[in-house]
Amino acid sequence: MASTILPLELVDRCIGSPIWVLMKNEREFTGTLMGFDDYVNMVLKDVKEYEVTPAGITETELGQTLLNGNNIAMLIPGGQGPRA
Amino acid sequence: MSSPSPQPDSGAASGSPSEFLKNIVGKRVKVRIGSGVDYHGLLTCLDGYMNVALEETEEWAGGRKTAEYGDCFLRGNNVLYISALEDL
Repeated sequence: MASTILPLELVDRCIGSPIWVLMKNEREFTGTLMGFDDYVNMVLKDVKEYEVTPAGITETELGQTLLNGNNIAMLIPGGQGPRA
Repeated sequence: MSSPSPQPDSGAASGSPSEFLKNIVGKRVKVRIGSGVDYHGLLTCLDGYMNVALEETEEWAGGRKTAEYGDCFLRGNNVLYISALEDL
C-alpha cells in the first residue's frame, strides 16, 4: 500500500503552515508549525493561546513556543482557532 | 537533493524541538506549568525532558506576581510550554 499516509506524515506536511492545537483540557493554541518530534512536542511561532471557559475565551499572544506534547489531544491543519 | 520521498526524520529539521531547546538557552523565557502558573526568568539550562533551570525567576499566578526566586528548577513533566520572551 504505497498510498497510505502515516498520521505523523500528515503533521509533517503542515510544517510552515497554520495549525490549531486542542489540548486535553479547555486550552487551545494556534500558530505556525515550525517542527515537532516523535512525542509530538511542537515548536510554534506567532502563537495565540486560548483558555475556553463558560465566561468566554481569554487570549494570550506568545512568541516562539515549545509546546509539550503530553497534553495534546487534536491537531487541525489550517485551523484559525476557536473564534473563527 | 531531488528525492521525492518525504523526509524520514522530521526531528532533525531546523525548527524542531531539539533545535529550539539549543537556541533558547540564555534567553528570557516564560514557562507555563499545567496549573496555569507562569515562571518568567533567564533560562540557564534544560534537557530533553523539559526539566528547566531559571535565574531571576518571577512567579505569576492569576495576573499578579506571587513570588520571586533567585534560582528555580522546574521538573519537566509539569511544563505546559516554554515560550521565548525575546527573539531567537
